[in-house]
Amino acid sequence: MNFPGSGIIKGLAVTARNFAGSYFEKDRLTTEQYPEERPKLPENSRSFPFLIYDGEDPEAGMRCVSCKICEKECPPQCIYIIQDRDAAGKAIKRPKIFDIDISVCMSCQICVEVCPFESIRMDQDYELSSFDRFGSLILDKSKLLKSNAYYQSIHPTEAAETDARFEADRKKKEAAAAAKAAAAEKAAAEKAAKPPITPEAGA
Amino acid sequence: MICDFLKTCCADPVNFLGDWFVLLPAMVLLLAGGAAVVMRNLIHAALCLTLSFIALGIVFIALGAEFVGFVQLLVYVGAVAMVIVFAILLTKPDQLTKSGSAFSGLGPAGGAAVGLVALVALLGFIFTSPLAKKPLPAPASAPVAEIGQALMGDYKVALIAIGVLLTAALVGAAVLAMEDKS
Amino acid sequence: MNIFLELVHFLQAPNELLRWFIDLLGSFGLPQWILAIISALIIIGTVIGVFLGLFALMSVMERKILARAQNRYGPNRVGFFCWRLCGLFQPVADGIKMITKEDLVPRTADQVVHLLAPVVMMIPALMVLAIIPYGRDMVPADLNAGILFFFAVGAGTEVAVFMAGWASNNKYSVLGAMRAIAQMISYEIPLVIAAIIAAMISGSLSPSAIVAAQGGFAWGFVPQWFVLTPWGFAACLLFYIAALAESNRSPFDLPEGESELVAGHLTEYSGFKYATFFMAEYIGMFAVCGMLVTLFLGGWQAPLPFLTIIPSWCWFFGKVCFVAFTMVWVRATLPRLRIDHMLAFAWKFLLPMSFAAFISAACWHYAGRGPLAWLLSLAIVGIPYLVLGTAFSNRFAVSRRTYQFSE
Repeated sequence: MNFPGSGIIKGLAVTARNFAGSYFEKDRLTTEQYPEERPKLPENSRSFPFLIYDGEDPEAGMRCVSCKICEKECPPQCIYIIQDRDAAGKAIKRPKIFDIDISVCMSCQICVEVCPFESIRMDQDYELSSFDRFGSLILDKSKLLKSNAYYQSIHPTEAAETDARFEADRKKKEAAAAAKAAAAEKAAAEKAAKPPITPEAGA
Repeated sequence: MICDFLKTCCADPVNFLGDWFVLLPAMVLLLAGGAAVVMRNLIHAALCLTLSFIALGIVFIALGAEFVGFVQLLVYVGAVAMVIVFAILLTKPDQLTKSGSAFSGLGPAGGAAVGLVALVALLGFIFTSPLAKKPLPAPASAPVAEIGQALMGDYKVALIAIGVLLTAALVGAAVLAMEDKS
Repeated sequence: MNIFLELVHFLQAPNELLRWFIDLLGSFGLPQWILAIISALIIIGTVIGVFLGLFALMSVMERKILARAQNRYGPNRVGFFCWRLCGLFQPVADGIKMITKEDLVPRTADQVVHLLAPVVMMIPALMVLAIIPYGRDMVPADLNAGILFFFAVGAGTEVAVFMAGWASNNKYSVLGAMRAIAQMISYEIPLVIAAIIAAMISGSLSPSAIVAAQGGFAWGFVPQWFVLTPWGFAACLLFYIAALAESNRSPFDLPEGESELVAGHLTEYSGFKYATFFMAEYIGMFAVCGMLVTLFLGGWQAPLPFLTIIPSWCWFFGKVCFVAFTMVWVRATLPRLRIDHMLAFAWKFLLPMSFAAFISAACWHYAGRGPLAWLLSLAIVGIPYLVLGTAFSNRFAVSRRTYQFSE
């Protein structure tokens, strides 16, 4: 039936169906109403780096040993590290200051790729805006340290892989230590079983 | 005298204002018409002319001739004013925005003299005509219906002639507009 | 209980409430002319207040309805303190924004005319609200030639559009104003002829008489509104389309299309002047919806006899809101018309159709309003519609492309 005006009536029907359907069918309106509904990000999405610590205490369980490879490799040079020194003034394997300027960071993930100790990883938090342009956009060590449990929650696959590797390493080390301890024990036992070599008296 | 004036004003304002319902728009009409003649800026002059049309419509309505008043507004303000404006815009784009008075020298004096003579003559004819002596007929209860019946009855020849004239004008306008598209 | 009954009675007939109030004031000894002025001021204040409220509601409901038809939410954030209220306080936020925006007037623009244009636009929009019957005995000004008043005053809008376009001293504003005026003038003829059809059958130019002529129920339950007759349906559609064009609404909103002329005659207006234009356009839209309801949809009459319990003004505003909803619906559906298509549509389709509807109505009346008359009027309206419609759509049909290559 193609009388003049039928096109308009068909169009009106489509619009009316859209209008009525938007109240009853939930999947018609695809708007995600931020900030009530947050978007579901894929696992590999990244925003800015953060430091991982194992266990409960951030300072004690920190994986970073202040090797400064990430500082050297960072293209916009947004990482600033100063190694910690102990009471005697000797350098120890932890950073005293670890700053990342997230207004400079370009999220290239090179620091993550070069870290030998799996201690710096990419976070997913994007709600970092502040009114203070210079102060609040430099994240220091306390703001960067987040637990391994948090890392497991945001990047489950990567975290599982890293944890498995650490677990394997730990087991190998334990096995090596156990073997070494067993060998040392055997040597000690052998030493105890053998009579002591006494020097010949006045021969 | 001022006390009497105020007393009549406050006692029965509607009747007192009755004359002013006609006189005020009439004054606006004269002022706007004068401004339309004197103004240099053509568009301002056209807008003052439109204001005078509106004022004339209000005068008609205040005098009790509703139909003529509304038709005046509909035709003059809605159509004729637009034609005037379009004509100005389409034929004379430059020199439009100069402001100030359009005349200098003896022009205004001569014009005013001619206008005064015309006004006196017109008033003379109005006041000495036999129509001024007859009492006004009572306003009709349904003036629009009576006008309609008169148009379709006594004046039907005039109505048909006007219809033919308007059709000719419409056809002419269409022909003029079409000639550009050859 | 007595108070409750009185309240219900006043709800049914607010004019009785007004008369009671004026009588109460009169018993205090106020002279008659002061009472008349107070009564007029109350009526004017109520009408303007209601329509400004409708304008505010319409501006947000239009956005929400358009949004829902386009599979998205509309404005749903602005509320009152902590209650969201589905974004219904958006007009308040918009109003505050409009008032606090800077009022830019170009230095070379005609300052006086630029200032006066919104005023001259608003005055006719508000004046035409005086003759619309909002309910039983609820006309602010019961003029004998009310329909004529409506169109006479509505012609003032064109002057305002020209003033706005010219005063901006902007080539594109003038162009937009010319197009807007050409559109308004072209669509005024089908508008007036459609209104005349209703006035002709009712035998009067007074809106209350036209509404009264649509009263009563045929066979006890079928309303006798003009839209339910063939000529009335055609005339209603003509009036509706012409009304869309007169208020510059989509699909006839080329004069204010953003992608075409950057708001046309309104380009150089910002802040409160723009809000005034916006308000005048919406109030004009409501006024013309009100006139459509009065002329064709039975005004304040209820559709079924037992539904007269609901007050007459409720029916009127319900119908007006329904017509306004259809205007938003049409806006969500149809693309914008080009100016030459728009004018061709007015002169070559709507004008002949309006004459056809006119003749059909006259034949319906003189053939005795019986079944034969209905068939005759249907034929007189239907056949030109099909013929003209087919011819029109064929004219603009896309033909097979032919290419000419240079040799």
